[in-house]
Amino acid sequence: MKILPYYLWNSTFPPLVSNFAYCERCRKPMSLSFKKYFFKRFIIYIILFLFSLTTNAFELFDSVQVHGFASQTMFMTSGNNMFGPSIRNPSFAFTELGINGSWSPLPNLRLSMQLLSRRAGDWHDGSPVIDFGLFDYSFEFDGDYRLGVRAGRVRQPYGLYNDTRDVAFTRPSILLPQSIYLEGTRDFTISADGVMIYGESRKPWGNLTLELFGGYARTNDTDTQFSFLYANYNGSLEPNPSFVGRLNYETYDGSLRLALSGAYTSMTYNPSNAPLPQPSKGSISFNPIVLSAQYNTENWTFSSEYQMNYFQRSGLDNPLYATTQGLDFDLFGQSYYFQAAYRFAPKWELMARYDAMYPNSQDISGKTTEFTSLTQSALAQNPFYYIPAYSQYAKTWTVGLRYDISPWMMVRAEYNYVNGTAWLPAEGYLGPDGNQDFSKTVKYWDMFGFLVSLRF
Amino acid sequence: MIILLFSIQLITSSTAFCEEVVVAVHKGTSVISPISRYTLSAIFGMRSTTWTDGTAIKVFVLPDDSHLHSLFCKQILHIFPHQLRTAWDRLVYSGTGQAPIVLGSEQEMQARIASTPGAIGYLPKETFDENITILPVE
Repeated sequence: MKILPYYLWNSTFPPLVSNFAYCERCRKPMSLSFKKYFFKRFIIYIILFLFSLTTNAFELFDSVQVHGFASQTMFMTSGNNMFGPSIRNPSFAFTELGINGSWSPLPNLRLSMQLLSRRAGDWHDGSPVIDFGLFDYSFEFDGDYRLGVRAGRVRQPYGLYNDTRDVAFTRPSILLPQSIYLEGTRDFTISADGVMIYGESRKPWGNLTLELFGGYARTNDTDTQFSFLYANYNGSLEPNPSFVGRLNYETYDGSLRLALSGAYTSMTYNPSNAPLPQPSKGSISFNPIVLSAQYNTENWTFSSEYQMNYFQRSGLDNPLYATTQGLDFDLFGQSYYFQAAYRFAPKWELMARYDAMYPNSQDISGKTTEFTSLTQSALAQNPFYYIPAYSQYAKTWTVGLRYDISPWMMVRAEYNYVNGTAWLPAEGYLGPDGNQDFSKTVKYWDMFGFLVSLRF
Repeated sequence: MIILLFSIQLITSSTAFCEEVVVAVHKGTSVISPISRYTLSAIFGMRSTTWTDGTAIKVFVLPDDSHLHSLFCKQILHIFPHQLRTAWDRLVYSGTGQAPIVLGSEQEMQARIASTPGAIGYLPKETFDENITILPVE
């Protein structure tokens, strides 16, 4: 089966594609203006600024800590919009603000919560959301072991970077390697509501940590619908019980880190009552496994991850909803990256990475899925009936430079050379040159990024 | 006394610093002495939260770019400061732990360890304080 963009199955033009930015979450047209956004969030900026003056964790009492971060990114591309209209134009539509607090009323008990405002392209409008909010109880025994439980909205243990993926200081580059940490599925993968049990063993040969989570993923947002249904239908996407786990090994000096993570996630599409063209009630499951390795020396960090995933959709086919291809499929995807970071001088870091993504291993060249044979007149009638082969893969070279102005302020410049569009988020830009019209995308593209980040 | 603390011995014909750093705990802390390096890593990595008698561990450190912090990381923990920072960030920004308390100077470190039950930190080897116990590392 092939990966096909949603519009092949849509007989009507989706309301999402319009000539102005439209926020699906708040159901109203949205401004991409940085100025307006800035003043809307003025208070958050002031708070962050005041906190950042302390340059350190804000210690209210002995057992309470407050931390936060703020990042602003500028992207500019040679083709394909990345978070806002970025083609030969600097786009500032990527802002991340977060503030968290934790309180330990007892040595073994901790309560923590993080509020996040994220503005990315035209779908994330910066409305504050609870990013995580949990209680964590653990106890230690025999000096070398620890067992604990976390409940609430918990960060998903996945790979090397998912735990802190919104904090620019902890990322190796402006965007995480997209083959594995896809922007389109961010809300779905970052945190979920449920219970986690974890155990840790500390031995002279290293630390072993096992984290197991069961609960419900955050599914009912535009990103997630688009990533798994390739469209934003009027029905809802409800989470079914999901399970995520990670086994992590780390030498006690942190020089070597190895991890195996896996997830079983499942969702149900519930059609809306309105007689709209839409899929039938059906299920979607996405089951990835990732192998991670990292090696640290004083000046170098080498990282690599490999992911395979099984993506299944069933029961969605609707006899009343005429589609070119069926909506149900089974896909096996693979992705990997190799990355090196070199701290060549104090405060300076240089990084390079090769990242490859193939959502359908049966068709890594995209030739089988390609659908570009429409006549000019047919294309003109509906430009969205177009699937280039390059939408089925993405091979990305990245080089970046980081400079830490101070322990709480950092700048980063980055260049990406991309062949393919498999990881290009649909939330790029909803205007006439939006990514959702594949005939407007290009195969080879450059992306330049610049980021300023604060933390405390 | 303080001048003595900061005194730096210069190796003859070399400009390299030869300074020694020791692990310091609040007097009377229930800890097995000498402490193993991997247990110490867990404490400074903020993954161990209580001493054997159940009292809370209070970890004090100096800023990442301070000389004594760097010396402590390399000589005692055998870890690089950037790795420790990565480990703390992972805890703080995922809600799974807290960061250590960063102090401004060695004098402040000495005062806070001396006055805080359950406290652990590091000091130059020459430090003497009746409320502080030096913890040997094996």
